[in-house]
Parts: sequence; structure tokens; C-alpha cells
Amino acid sequence: MKNKVLMGLAAIAMVAFLSSCGKVPQTEIDATNAAIAAAQAAEANVYVPAEFTALQDSMNAITAAVETQKSKLIKKFGPIKERLASTLTLANTVAANAATKKEEVKKEAETLLNDIKAVIEENGKLLLKAPRGKEGAAVIEQIKADMATINTSVVDAQGLYDKGAYMDALNKIKAAKEKADGINTELKEAIAKVKKR
Amino acid sequence: MSLIWKQILIISSGAIFIFLIFYFLIILTPQPPVRDMVYARVALSLAAKNKADSYSRKQYKEAKGYYISALGKWQKENKRFLYSRDYSKVAKLAKLAAKAANQATISSQISYSNLKTSLKQKIDALNNMDRNIDEMFTSYPLTTETRNRISKGKMLLKEAEIIYNKGQYLEADNKITESEYLLTTSYENASGNLKNYFKSYPEWRNWVDKTIAISRDSGDYSIIVDKFSRKLIVYLEGTKKYEYSAELGKNWVGDKMVQGDKATPEGMYKIAGKFESNKTKYYKALLLDYPNDEDTANFKDAIKKGILPRSANIGGLIEIHGNGGKGIDWTEGCIALTDREMDSIFRIAKVGTPVTIVGSMQDLHHVMKR
Repeated sequence: MKNKVLMGLAAIAMVAFLSSCGKVPQTEIDATNAAIAAAQAAEANVYVPAEFTALQDSMNAITAAVETQKSKLIKKFGPIKERLASTLTLANTVAANAATKKEEVKKEAETLLNDIKAVIEENGKLLLKAPRGKEGAAVIEQIKADMATINTSVVDAQGLYDKGAYMDALNKIKAAKEKADGINTELKEAIAKVKKR
Repeated sequence: MSLIWKQILIISSGAIFIFLIFYFLIILTPQPPVRDMVYARVALSLAAKNKADSYSRKQYKEAKGYYISALGKWQKENKRFLYSRDYSKVAKLAKLAAKAANQATISSQISYSNLKTSLKQKIDALNNMDRNIDEMFTSYPLTTETRNRISKGKMLLKEAEIIYNKGQYLEADNKITESEYLLTTSYENASGNLKNYFKSYPEWRNWVDKTIAISRDSGDYSIIVDKFSRKLIVYLEGTKKYEYSAELGKNWVGDKMVQGDKATPEGMYKIAGKFESNKTKYYKALLLDYPNDEDTANFKDAIKKGILPRSANIGGLIEIHGNGGKGIDWTEGCIALTDREMDSIFRIAKVGTPVTIVGSMQDLHHVMKR
């Protein structure tokens, strides 16, 4: 009788031991989540969206894996710890890539903003020399209207740039630059034609 | 039985007993729906890759909601005693999440593809409209507001194209909608204005035919000015002899109403005087008999109806003169030619030579096609 009681107690003790021997790697989970949050703060979802989605997928899989282990009698968090470590590294890489891409976009926007200001200035001078074109004043009026729209776009793009919305600023300034370049070419061709005559 | 054998038997029985307990403990552990959860998660991930969060927002949100609920329920169950856990709701929610995510993926793929196609069509159509506007209204005096709207519409179209090429169709759609509105309303406004102007076409055609007939019957010269194409055409014996580029008043659309309106009049006129270089500041000039009887009647009618103030003056001194070739419509309402062309026309024109000024010699359909 005494032996049976002892055996029963041993079994319960074993169950208790086995079910509590694997501890959830909460520190690692928190660190990885913090790294993912940092990647998001670095606008990884804007500048490297595919990488950021992959990162989130990885973390979602880990969360499910943690619950899977928690559901078991014998828990094993070792492989999860390894996955958390690699996801943490991935999060840091994604954040770094986002920062690099953001810097690239920022520089491109900055360059275009400077370039377009020069083109706008040149267009203003060319407009004074423009022969008015065969089609008359209406062409000049349209060019003036286009130049005013370009100026507004540049102001808007500068505002977006100042706010740190470099991607939006870049999209806006690219369109404005194409338009400004178009006017520049049109005016130069018109002036060259008159000179030929 | 010796004591050793007895002890071995007891230990063996104990070990078997513990093993059996352990075995049953494992067997009886409730199994979580890991497969369902994995399937749901993969389906959600696929939906996200297919941009369902943007293109099938409602279904994606629903799928995500189910998945989060399933995960929450799973976590809650895991906190309960091992053998009292029930994962049936987790499985149910995971299945719902997977189903909704798959639907979101399909729906997103369709929306994405449809939007991509329709945006491409819209961009092409708006670029065509842009070209039409350029071709038709480059020389047409539109209002500053209309020109600004056209300009803004074109800029938005360019921005939309840049975003479209990056695959950001929803953002491109917003810009295209705005651009479409600006360009379409401007185009319709300008076209409406043009159509309204061309209501006088039957009358213009009648004047043109009459003028050519006069030239044919008299065997002499007649002059027709086509304002829309900026042409001055000389007919001899009813046949086109010369064609020159002409420059007009800044506000050339419509008939001249009053002095200083910078409009070139429309009607059948005759040369009333010839001025050599010493009598005009515009190289040489052919004075027209503006205002004719019809102009005077229209002017009086406009005053009577209150369209023009009583103090208004009908104006005069409408000429075909030199100093042209500037490329713009710059005159006060006269028709300007280059000095060289002025020499040619000055030689053949005489007092009484018919000069008919019309909005266009071609109907609107031809003008728009051109």
C-alpha cells in the first residue's frame, strides 16, 4: 500500500515536472517584438514592404509555435528560441534596409528638388525669350499656367519632404520635373526655330 | 522467492505502472488544431501578399479578426488545466479565418487585376484627351481658370502614371479620378464654348460661298479671313490664289461688339481705303468698311437690350496691315500679315475688294478632326 502511494506521488511529480520544464522564452519574444516595432518605426512597411511582410509572417508563425508548445504535455522551446534569434536578426536587417532605402529616397527627392528649381528658373528666363510660337498667346498662357502648377507641386513636394514623407515627395517631384523638363524642351526648340529663320 | 527477485518485481511493476500512467497522460492530452491554425495563417499571409488588406479590405479584416480570435481562444485554453482544455472553438475560428482569407485572396486578385486594367484604360483615355486639348485649344483663348484646371489635371495624370507604374493602384486611382474630373470638365467647358461659337457656321459658310461667287462672277480678287485657322486667303475668279498666315485681335473668338474689346469682327466687308507706309504705323494698311449695316444694327440692339452700356462706342479702323509675323494674336482687332505678304496683297487689292471675315471655313466636325 505504501509503495502504491509513493508511485502515485512520483507520477504526479513527474507530470508536474514535465509540464513545467519548458519555459516560454518571453524575454526573447519581447526583444523580437521590440525589434519588429523598431522596423515599423523605421517605416519598413513603406520603404521595404515585402521584407516587412515576411518579417511579420515569421513572427506570426513563432507566436503559433509557442502556443503549440504550450498545448503539449512535454514542452520544448529550444527550436523556438533559435527561430526568435533569427527573426530578431531579420528585424534588425529589415530596419537597417528601410533606413538605407529611406535615405536613398530622401537623397533622390533632394536632388530632384534642387534640379527642378534650376529648371524652373531657366524656364522663366526662356519664357521671356520665347517667340510666342505660331499658335500665339494662348500657348504662352498655357505654358504660364503649367509653370504655376509646377511651382505649386514643388511647394507641396517640399512640404512633404520637410514632414519626412520622402516617398510621397519623390512621386510628386518626379511628375513636376517631367513637366518642367517638357516645357524647357518646348521653349528651347521654339527659340532655336526662330534663330534658324 | 528471494528478496532480490521480489524487489526486482516490485520495481518493474512500478516502472510499468508509471510508464502506463505517463502514456495515458500523453494520449489523453487534448490536441490543439495546429494544422488548422497553420492553414489559416498561411492563407492570411497569402491574402496579405495579394494585397487583400487594400483590395479586399472587408474580407481580409474579417479573416484577420477570426485568426486573432482563434489565437486568443487558444491562448486562453492553454492557461486552463491540461486535461480540461477544449480547442474545438479554436479549430472552428481557424477554419473560418482560412476560408475568409482564401476568399479575400481571390477577391483581391480580381479587384487588383480589374483596377489595373481599368486604370490603364483611363490613363490612355486621359492622355488622348490631353492631346486633344493641346491640339484643339492651343490657339483657342480659354479662360485662365480653365487653363489652370487643365494644367492641374495634367499634373495629376502624370503623378498618377508614376504611382501606377509602381503598382500602387489605389493611390493612382484617387489621382486619376481627380485628374479625370478636371480634364473632362475643362474639355467639356471648352468644347461647349467652341460648339456655341460654331453655331454661326451656317452663316459663315453662306458668306464664304457668296464671297467666292463674287470673285468668280467678277473675275476679280476676293479675300477671306478664316479666324480659327489664322489664314487670309485670296481668291481670283473664284479660285484660291494665295494663302497667308494672319494674326488677329487677342480676343478673336466671337464677333466684335464694342471699341476696345480686342475682337476681330466677323462679316462681309469691303476695302474702304489703302494706306501706304507714310499713312500708317503698321507698314501698309487696307482699311475695311467696318462697321457695316449689320454691325451697326447689332450694336444698337445690344445697347437696347442692356448688353452694352449707352456710353459704348462701336469702334472702327479695322484694317489688314503689316508688322505681323509675331506669332501671337496681338492686334486691337485688325488682321496683321508680315510686311512681305502685305506688299503682295497691297498690290492686288483695291478699294471695293470684298473681304469676308469668318470664324471658320470648315465646320466644327472637321475642325475637331483636324
